Amino acid sequence: MILAQEQSLSPTNSSGTFRRLLGYLGPYRSKLILAFVILLAATATDVVQPLLIKVFIDRYLIPRYFPRTILAELAAVYLGLVILTAVLNVVQLLLFEILALNIIQQLRIELFDKAQQIALSFFDNTPVGVVVSRITNDTQSILEMFMTVLSTFVQNITVLTGILIAMFALNTRIALDCLLLIPIILGVMTLYRKASAPIFHVARQQLALLNAKLNESLQGMAIVQAMRQESRMRHEFGQINNAYKRARFRNMQLNGILLRPLNDVIYSLTLIFVLWYFGLASFSHAVNIGVLYAFVTYLSRFFEPVNNMMQRLNFFQQAMVSAERVFQILDHEEMAPQTIGHSAAQITRGEVVFDDVSFSYDGRHDILKHISFTAHPGQTVAIVGHTGSGKSSIINLLMRFYPVERGKILIDGTDLRMISSHELRRKVGLVLQEPFLFYGDITSNIRLGNQFVSDEDVVKAARFVQAESFIRRLSGEYHAPIGERGATLSTGQRQLLSFARTMAMNPVILALDEATASVDTETENAIQNALAQMRHGRTTIAIAHRLSTVQDADLILVLHHGEIVERGTHQELLAREGLYYKMYLLQQGQSA
Amino acid sequence: MQVFLDLMWFFRQHKTRYITGIILLIMVALLSLIPPRIVGLVINALTHHELTHAMLYRDLFIILVTALATYGIRYLWRIMLFGGAIQLATELRTKLYDHFTIMSPEFYHHKRTGDLMAHSTNDVQAIQETASEGVLTLVDSIVTGSVVITTMAFLNWKLTVVSLLPMPIMAFAVTRYGKMLHDRFYLAQAAFSDINDRVQEYVSGIRVIRAFGQENWERKNFITLSRDVVNKSVAVARIDSLFDPTISIIVGLSYFLSIAIGAIFVVHGTLNLGNLTTFTLYLGQLIWPMLAFGFLFNIVERGRASYERVESLLSVSPTITDKKGAKEQVPSGAITYAIRQFSYPGTAHVVLKDISLVIEQGHTLGIVGRTGSGKTTLLRLLLREFDLKPEEGDIVIGGVSIQDVTLSALRSSIAYAPQDAFIFSQSVLDNIAFANPKASREDIVKAAYQAGVLEDIEQFPNGFETIIGERGTNLSGGQKQRISIARSLLQQAEILLLDDTLSAVDARTETHILDQIKNVRQGRTTIIATHRLRTVEHADQIIVLENGTIVEQGTHEYLWSLGGRYWDMYRRQQLETQVERGGVEV
Repeated sequence: MILAQEQSLSPTNSSGTFRRLLGYLGPYRSKLILAFVILLAATATDVVQPLLIKVFIDRYLIPRYFPRTILAELAAVYLGLVILTAVLNVVQLLLFEILALNIIQQLRIELFDKAQQIALSFFDNTPVGVVVSRITNDTQSILEMFMTVLSTFVQNITVLTGILIAMFALNTRIALDCLLLIPIILGVMTLYRKASAPIFHVARQQLALLNAKLNESLQGMAIVQAMRQESRMRHEFGQINNAYKRARFRNMQLNGILLRPLNDVIYSLTLIFVLWYFGLASFSHAVNIGVLYAFVTYLSRFFEPVNNMMQRLNFFQQAMVSAERVFQILDHEEMAPQTIGHSAAQITRGEVVFDDVSFSYDGRHDILKHISFTAHPGQTVAIVGHTGSGKSSIINLLMRFYPVERGKILIDGTDLRMISSHELRRKVGLVLQEPFLFYGDITSNIRLGNQFVSDEDVVKAARFVQAESFIRRLSGEYHAPIGERGATLSTGQRQLLSFARTMAMNPVILALDEATASVDTETENAIQNALAQMRHGRTTIAIAHRLSTVQDADLILVLHHGEIVERGTHQELLAREGLYYKMYLLQQGQSA
Repeated sequence: MQVFLDLMWFFRQHKTRYITGIILLIMVALLSLIPPRIVGLVINALTHHELTHAMLYRDLFIILVTALATYGIRYLWRIMLFGGAIQLATELRTKLYDHFTIMSPEFYHHKRTGDLMAHSTNDVQAIQETASEGVLTLVDSIVTGSVVITTMAFLNWKLTVVSLLPMPIMAFAVTRYGKMLHDRFYLAQAAFSDINDRVQEYVSGIRVIRAFGQENWERKNFITLSRDVVNKSVAVARIDSLFDPTISIIVGLSYFLSIAIGAIFVVHGTLNLGNLTTFTLYLGQLIWPMLAFGFLFNIVERGRASYERVESLLSVSPTITDKKGAKEQVPSGAITYAIRQFSYPGTAHVVLKDISLVIEQGHTLGIVGRTGSGKTTLLRLLLREFDLKPEEGDIVIGGVSIQDVTLSALRSSIAYAPQDAFIFSQSVLDNIAFANPKASREDIVKAAYQAGVLEDIEQFPNGFETIIGERGTNLSGGQKQRISIARSLLQQAEILLLDDTLSAVDARTETHILDQIKNVRQGRTTIIATHRLRTVEHADQIIVLENGTIVEQGTHEYLWSLGGRYWDMYRRQQLETQVERGGVEV
C-alpha cells in the first residue's frame, strides 16, 4: 500500500517544477544578481591572466626588452589579479551557498507550515518515515541544485558563448556547422532528462520506503526481538535496500551511457569532422594552419563547459524529482479546518450543541448521521457504542480535526467554524486514547509550549491527577528525562502525564476519548475523583467503553452505526430496556 | 585520507572490482593522449603538404576507434567504481539495520528514531560519495598529475621543480581546510539528525500538537533547528568556498614562477621560447588534478565525519547477548524467580526487591499491583530485555538459568503481548502472523477468534486483508490489544505473557479470551499482569506487588482470606461493581 501510494507520484511536468523552484529565488533577486555579477567578474579576471602572460612573452621576452618598473607593475597586476580572482570566487561561492541554504530553510519552513495546516487524514494515510523523508531528505537534494547547478550553468553558458563568438571570428562556415552541436547536445540532455526521470522517481520511492521500513522497525524493535523476527525483518529490509541499490545502479548506468562519456564521443566526432573538413580542403587549396590549430583548441575548450553542465545534470534531475515530491505536499488540497472570519467569540460557559451533524471521511459512507444533542455548561455527556459506531468522530469534529460540512456545532452559541484556533485549543482540552509523550522531561511534557503554565501549575496539575507520587519517585522528579515516546514509563504513568497535560491548560470543555482504559483501578479511581472535581463548571464530552465510568453522566448517548439510537440518563436508559440495557447486562453478566 | 583506510575492509573485499576499475581509469588517461597526438600529426602533415586521403582516413579512423574504446572503458570503470560505492552504501545500511536488530531496549531508550534514520540515509550517502567520487578523484589526480609532471620534467626538470614550489603551501592549506571541514561537517550532520528527530516526533504526535494548539510552538522549535542546520551548513560552506580559490592562487603563483624563472632561462639560453610555451600549456593541464586534489580532501573529510558517526553507532555493543556456550535448547519447565534486587541500568531507583517465586509448568500466575509497582519489569526480565547481574539474582526455567540459553531459544519458548500493542503497517493477517509468517489462514482465524477480535476484523473494509497500523485503518486501543493477543496465541509457545493486555477490552470479551486461553493452553504456563483482579481470579497463583516487592502471594481464596492488600483491592473493585449494579438495585 505504501508502494501504491508512492507510485501515484508519477513524473509530472518538469519544466513547471523547475520554474516553480526558480520562483524561490524571487526574494533574493538582488543578492542573486550580485552573486552572478561577481561570478562573471571572477570569470573575467581569470581569463585576463593568460593574456598578461602573452603580453609579457610577446612584448618583452621575445624582444628581450626588460624595463624594470613596467615588468614589476605587470607582475604586480598579475599577482593582484590572481588574488582578486580568488577573493571574488570565495565571495561568489559563499554567496551562492548561503543563498541556497536560505532558500532551503524557507522551503522547509513552508513545508512545515503546510504540514501544520494539512488535513489529519493525510497523516493517517502517510507513513511517518515518508513525511520525514520529504521534509528533510528531499529538501536536502534540492539544496544542491541552488548551490551549484545554477551557477555552473550560468558560468559555463557564458564561457560557451565566448568560445562560439571566437569560433565565428575564425571561420564562419565551419563555425556554422559547429552550431549544429548545440541541438545535438541539447538533444542528449533532453534524452537524459526523459530517461532519468522515471529512474530517479523509482530511486526516491525506494528511499522513502526504506525510511518507512526503518522507522517502523526502530519503533517496533522490542516486539520484533521478543518474537524473534529479526532475521525476517533483516530480510525484508534487505529487499528494499536491494531495490534501492538497483535503482541507484540503473541511474549510475544511465549517467555512464549518456553524460560525460557520450559527451566525449561527440567531441571526438566533431574533431574528426573538423580535421576531415580541413583535410579535404587542403587537397584542393591551401588551408590556414593557424586557424585549424585555433579551432581545434577552441573545440576542446568548448566541450569543457558542456561537460561541466552535463555533470550537474545528474544533480539537477535529482533535485527536480525531489522538488516534485515536496510540491506534492505543498499542493495537497485537503486542509485542516480553518477559522472563518475574525470572531472574537470566547468560550466561557462551555455549552456544546451538535445540531443535525452528519459526517463522512471519504464522502461516501456516513460515519455520523444527524447527530443532535446539547451539553449544557457543566454537564457531562457520555457517548457509548461499539467500535466503529462513530464515537471518536464526534470528538474529532468537536476538536475541529475534521471540518463540519453538514449540520452545525455551536459552542456558547458560536459556530465552531468561527471560533479562533487559539481560543478553541486553549479552552477545549483533549485526552487521547493513547498518550503521546515527547522527548524531553516531565515538566516539558505537561507544559508543552504553553509559557503561561508556570512550574507551579505543572506541579498542581500533576497533583490533581495524582501523578505526583510516581513523579517524585523518579530521579530528577519533575525534570526526570523522558525518552522518545516515553519509553521509560509504564502505560499508566504515561496516561497520568497526559491527563496532567490537559489539566494544566485548565480547559472549559473536556473531551475524553476512552482515556480511562489502561490505568489501574486505584489510579483510575483517583482520576475519576479528579475528573469529578474538574467537571464542576466544566462541560465534558466523554467516550467510554466501560459503562461504569459513565453512570453519573447527565446525558448518555448510545451510538449505533453513526446514529443516536438512545439517549437519556443511566436510569432512564436502563428503564427503557433497549440497546444500552443490553450492553449493560452483557458487561454485568460477566462479573455476576 | 584516513577514511580510505577505514574503508579498506570493503576495498579488500572487492579487490578485483577496484583494481580493474583503477586499471581502466589509467587506460582512459593513456587513451586520451592519443587524439592530440593524431591532431599534431595531421597538422604537421598539412603544414608540409604531405597529407594523403589514405593518411587522413586512417588518422580519423584511429580517433574514432579511440573515442569508442574510451566510451566503453569510461562506462565500465563507472560500473566498477561507482557500482562499488553503491554496493558499499547498501552494505553499510544492511550493517546498520542488522545492528539495530541486535540492540537491546536500553539502546532505544537513549537513541532517537530520527537520529538513527539520519545515520542510515544521510551519512551513508556521504560515505558513498567518498567511495565513488573520492576514489575517482584520488586515482584521477594522481594519474593525470604524474603523467603531466613527468612530461614537464622531461621538458625541463629545473623549471618543473620551480613551478612545483608553491605546492607545499597548497598541501598545507588543503589539509588544514580538510580538518576544519571535518569538524564542521560532523556538527552539520548532527544538526541534521536533530531536525530529523524533531520532524519524526512532530509527525508522530500530530494529534496532540493540534489538540493542544501547539503549532506555533512547534514551528518555533522547527525554525530554530532548521536555522541551526543552516548555520552549521554555512560554516561548512565557508570552508567549502575556500578550496578552489586557494588552489587557483597556487596555480597563479606556479604560472608566475615558471614564467619569471623560465624567462631567465630563456635569456640565459638554457630554454627556448617554444618549450617555455609548451611548458605553460602543460602547467595548464595540471590545474585540473590540483583542483581535484582539493575536491578530494573536501569529499574525503565529509566521508570521514560521516563514517565516524556510523562507526560510533556500530561500536555500541548490545548489552544483552548470548553467553559463551549458551545452549540452543528451548527452555521448558517450572519458572523460578530469585531476585535480590534490580534497578534499570544507569538508575539508582530499585524497581524489584526480594522476589522469590516458583511458577509450575502449566500453571497460571497473576501479577497484580499498581502502576509502577514492577509488574512489567518482572516480565521484561524473563524475556531478557534486561539482564540481571549475578549479584542481583537469577531467573531459571526448568532448572536452567535463562542466561545460559541463547536469546533465540529463550524467546522461542515465550509469547508476549506487551502493554502497548505495536501494530505494523501491514494487513491484519500479517500482523497476527507476525511471529509465524507461515501460519495457515485457518490458524490465524482461529487465533483471532480466541483473542475475541474475529468479529471486529470481519467488519473491517477488507477483512483480514485490511491494512492497519501507521497508515491504515485506525484501530481502537482494545482492538490493538486483541490483535496483539491473537499474535501471541498463534505462537503457541510454552510460556505466554500478557502484560496488562486486557485493559482496554470490555468484560465480556475479556471472559471470552480468558476462557479460550484456558482451553487452548492446557499444560502450558501463562503469566498475566493486570490491574483488574477479576482477570486473574482463577489463576493458580497470584502475587501482589507493591514498590517492587511481593507483599502477598497465594491463590485467590487464600489472599482473600488474608484480609490484606489483595482483599482491600478486591473489595474496592467489587464495590465499584456494586455501584454499577446500584443502577438496577440488584
